[in-house]
Amino acid sequence: MENKHIDSSFDKDLNKINNNLLKLGTLGLNQFEKCINNFGTQNLEEINQVIAFDEKLDELDDKIQKSGFEIIALRSPRAIDLRRVIVALKISTILERIGDYSRNISNRTKVLIELNYTDLPGVNIGKMGQKTQQMFEDVLESYTNEDDKLAIKVRNSDFKIDKMHTEYYLEIISSMQRNKKLAPIGTHLLFIAKNIERVADYVTDIAEQIYFLVNGKMLSDHRPKADETSLKIPE
Amino acid sequence: MNLKNDELTKSINTVGDVFVKDARIKARNVNVFYAEKKAIDEVTIDIGNKEVISFIGPSGCGKSTFLRCFNRMNDTIDICRVEGSITLDEENIYDKNVDVVPLRARIGMVFQKPNPFPKSIFDNVAYGPRIHGLADNKSHLENIVEMSLKRAGLWNEVNDRLISPGTGLSGGQQQRLCIARAIAVSPEVILMDEPCSALDPIATAKIEELIHELGNDYSIVIVTHSMQQAARVSKRTAYFHLGKLIEVGKTKDIFTRPQHNQTEAYISGKIG
Ligand SMILES: Nc1ncnc2c1ncn2[C@@H]1O[C@H](COP(=O)(O)OP(=O)(O)OP(=O)(O)O)[C@@H](O)[C@H]1O
Ligand SMILES: [Mg+2]
Repeated sequence: MENKHIDSSFDKDLNKINNNLLKLGTLGLNQFEKCINNFGTQNLEEINQVIAFDEKLDELDDKIQKSGFEIIALRSPRAIDLRRVIVALKISTILERIGDYSRNISNRTKVLIELNYTDLPGVNIGKMGQKTQQMFEDVLESYTNEDDKLAIKVRNSDFKIDKMHTEYYLEIISSMQRNKKLAPIGTHLLFIAKNIERVADYVTDIAEQIYFLVNGKMLSDHRPKADETSLKIPE
Repeated sequence: MNLKNDELTKSINTVGDVFVKDARIKARNVNVFYAEKKAIDEVTIDIGNKEVISFIGPSGCGKSTFLRCFNRMNDTIDICRVEGSITLDEENIYDKNVDVVPLRARIGMVFQKPNPFPKSIFDNVAYGPRIHGLADNKSHLENIVEMSLKRAGLWNEVNDRLISPGTGLSGGQQQRLCIARAIAVSPEVILMDEPCSALDPIATAKIEELIHELGNDYSIVIVTHSMQQAARVSKRTAYFHLGKLIEVGKTKDIFTRPQHNQTEAYISGKIG
């Protein structure tokens, strides 16, 4: 934040909400990274840790919501200050939701372990997760540096995740058609892939918020989209 | 005198749209000096028909000085000199032939401190119509006074004591009395210099409500130190700094995404 407020306690309040948001971002990224790793390693203890830790993210989000609400009521922020507070509140909500997806993926991973899961051909959840994780890292960096160019780059890479999701969706369905016994595993995999695809969508929403933060207006052009699972009927 | 937008306008360093489609007042390259000191520096701006525009900026930036140019109140200050051009409906208000008395009826003013005359409530409002000969007879005059007090939202509070002194009203009521006095002469533009700075939040809210109302019929220029007030009452906001007009724009843009970093610093309470 370049300029200082005449009333320095205003800066303190803004720094506090900003630091808490960065903390929530880091925790959210850690949770997601772990849930993707755990999918591969199938380490039950670590999976349970991720599930239990989610409430910490909820608490931090509550704290951010409360302090943002107070700044608006007590300080009437304007211009960039107003955008910082509003954007922090929105991003916080999004990060909390991403946390829910990490927990959800972890829960399904536990079920898959019970089902003696082995890889389905042509489906690489780990790869999709890591690509999403990269977007997540970039979006946090873009927020830290208020770098709208990086935000646009993140937003424009979402279609790769959509494409992968569509691909895996079709592969999973055809595996289940070939072997009906794979239906329970396939169903959970469909949900996990969908959850990761949603995380990438949310990361894209964060990128759009950062663009708004920097420029004071929304990105208007249509972004590339490639999730066609709702349109495609498997053969 | 007929001015096009670009005539006389040398360079405009102001960010945003200084011109509007339906301008009543056009100020072009206005400079104001107090003796040798330049208080307003090359300001060019339009005031639109029936628009409420606020002037904001740090103390001493020249808001009041510039506002006073519009009805030639600066004429009353000996050492003050105004350069450039200001027109009201394409008519140069600084022309030698312009009589300032009717000009100040067309462009009325409300000051920071309510300043009712030491006369009755009725006479305060009747004063302008009387000197400008606006009323045909007594009942016409009474009618003008009643309408003006009603428009100023004061009628219900004072209709049973029109003969008591205006100075006996509360501060907020006095300010509305001054507004009634200004509108009694059917002005085209109303200038307000910090009209609420001496008022409590309720009296302030009443004046703001009145500004919204009056904005349907008059052009209103309001100088205010309250950014919340500028945000609440005006559609357009002009930001002044050290005598220069830095930025003009829609109020909603100025308060959410100002273009100039000085505007940004001022409205968010930062050191520039
Ligand atoms: N009558 C005067 N004689 C000499 N200088 C004056 C006079 N009136 C104003 N000035 C100077 O002109 C500059 C602009 O003053 P002005 O009153 O227009 O500022 P302002 O923006 O209205 O400030 P404030 O917000 O404090 O009312 C200041 O430097 C001020 O000292
Ligand atoms: Mg002033």
